[in-house]
Amino acid sequence: MAASIIETTGLTRSYGDICALKPLDLLVPEGEWLSVMGHSGSGKSTFMNLVGGLDRPTSGSLQVGGENLLALSEDGLARFRREFVGIIFQQHHLVPYLTAVENVMMAQYFHSVPDEAEARFALERVGLGHRLKNRPGELSGGEQQRVCIARAIINSPKLLLGDEPTGNLDHKSTIMVMELLKELRAEENFTVIMVTHNQEVAAWGDRTIYLDDGILVREERLVKTDEG
Amino acid sequence: MTRRRWLIHLVLRALGHRKGRTILLLAVLAMASSLATALGIVSSSMERRVAEEVRKYGANLIVIPETARLEIGSGGLDFGVVSEPTYLQQSLVEGALARSGIKAERSFHLRGALHWKDSDLMVEGVDFADIRRLFPWWQLKGTWPTAGEIVVGNDLAASMKLKPGDMMECGGKGQTVKLRVSGIVTSGGEEDGLLFVALPELQKALELEGQITLVRLMVTAGGDSLKKSAVSLQQLMPGAKVSEVRQTARTSEGLLAKVKLLMLMVTAVVLVSAGSSVAGTMSTTVLERGKEIGLMKAMGGTRVEVMLIFCGEAAMLGVLGGIAGYLCGTIIAQFITRTVFSASADIIPWIACVSLGVSLFLALLGSFGPMISVFKLDPVRSLRGE
Repeated sequence: MAASIIETTGLTRSYGDICALKPLDLLVPEGEWLSVMGHSGSGKSTFMNLVGGLDRPTSGSLQVGGENLLALSEDGLARFRREFVGIIFQQHHLVPYLTAVENVMMAQYFHSVPDEAEARFALERVGLGHRLKNRPGELSGGEQQRVCIARAIINSPKLLLGDEPTGNLDHKSTIMVMELLKELRAEENFTVIMVTHNQEVAAWGDRTIYLDDGILVREERLVKTDEG
Repeated sequence: MTRRRWLIHLVLRALGHRKGRTILLLAVLAMASSLATALGIVSSSMERRVAEEVRKYGANLIVIPETARLEIGSGGLDFGVVSEPTYLQQSLVEGALARSGIKAERSFHLRGALHWKDSDLMVEGVDFADIRRLFPWWQLKGTWPTAGEIVVGNDLAASMKLKPGDMMECGGKGQTVKLRVSGIVTSGGEEDGLLFVALPELQKALELEGQITLVRLMVTAGGDSLKKSAVSLQQLMPGAKVSEVRQTARTSEGLLAKVKLLMLMVTAVVLVSAGSSVAGTMSTTVLERGKEIGLMKAMGGTRVEVMLIFCGEAAMLGVLGGIAGYLCGTIIAQFITRTVFSASADIIPWIACVSLGVSLFLALLGSFGPMISVFKLDPVRSLRGE
């Protein structure tokens, strides 16, 4: 079995009196595609934010890629995010005044040095070679999400986080995006944590965990058939 | 693309995206810096112009010999002060003026008495070219004298019934001089009771070659205080007393200082208003761009890196506003000086640095509060739009 990329022990996150995530013990092997399911307010986004270094736990331990995230300073967490994590958002969160290629270059800027050729290549990989100079407002939802994916993978992250990445997409676009992620994962071998409401989307993963009211209530390992 | 080029590109894109707000901020910064520029130029031009105007009112420093003074009094009674005439060596005064480096118009005077028709007339030896330059308001009936000619003060001419063309034979200390009245002068002051003779002629008549009793100086009033000039000159002439002619010099300097203070206060009010306006607009911009800031932080931007982008925007606005402000301010200053002083304004290159500095300072100061917000903004909450 592969080494764990994520290890949590008694991980909690509270907002005042509200406990969004109750003590969670979880191991995620390197290269795994983990789907996180649950209702609204179940703690799945909280879990993703903690794992991605966007938020700090209230208690417990959290090791991601060998880094103890609790011990990192604000700037240390920023460094961790740019070097280790790629994030795909439901709302895309593309910068409206930048073109598709510039949006990808923005992630390069925070990581190291913007390289237009690399950014173009990343967009070509997600099938947007013809939309390089278009701004987000000129792209469809599916295309915007593909720009978001290109931006997330440009710095070759070890961990790709998806916060309901297909939540705003129609069925056809959803399939297209999931196919794309599957292909990229096969090429890059990054670990995927995918938060979703959608059972069909969750089924693209290797394993699904179910959260309810901040507690891990169920876990399913999916058995892949030859047809996928 | 280097990181710096990318940062500039990003800043320009962000500013270009919010054209309306960018134009508003630029207008505010340009207005504030143009005001500072215009007031700086007008102030400088006004100083020069007032100095020129003050010249019309004559000398502002006088140098006289330090008189030997003897106080007369007894048993609590004070009979006043008696003094005997003393003189200054003209060449020594000229040397001291040259060493002091003070830029001043000058006129040398020798006051004495000439005997004419059983009376002693108060007479002053002057260089008539200097007199015409330093006392342009003197009114002359007749012509300015040439060799062997004199002008007579209006009051003296009236009492002695003198008119242009009259001949006078005056007795000096060692000789008698024949003088022709070429004109009657009216100054409105004590000069109306005097007789004016060319300085070398009087020095010769009184056997006081190279001696003078008074020097009138017209120091260009400006940044250098008149008082400083007086002090430095005094140090070079221990045997003389250097005094300000207060009514003209002090008034002009005082008036200028008050006008400058008024200008500074107006500028300060405008700068505070502009700073508040920049702060308000930048705060709104930061609030609107919360998700963008959250995204930058989520992508791994440190707090300082993200803040640098917004500081870059403020600095870019500051530079552009400063350049626009300098150009507009120069035009405004030209308009004001032409309208008020009927003269063109000075072109002062260093004012461009002031304009740029004012605009940058306002842009960065106005952005300080919003920058703190950018620094503190939590990426998770801002991405949720909270």
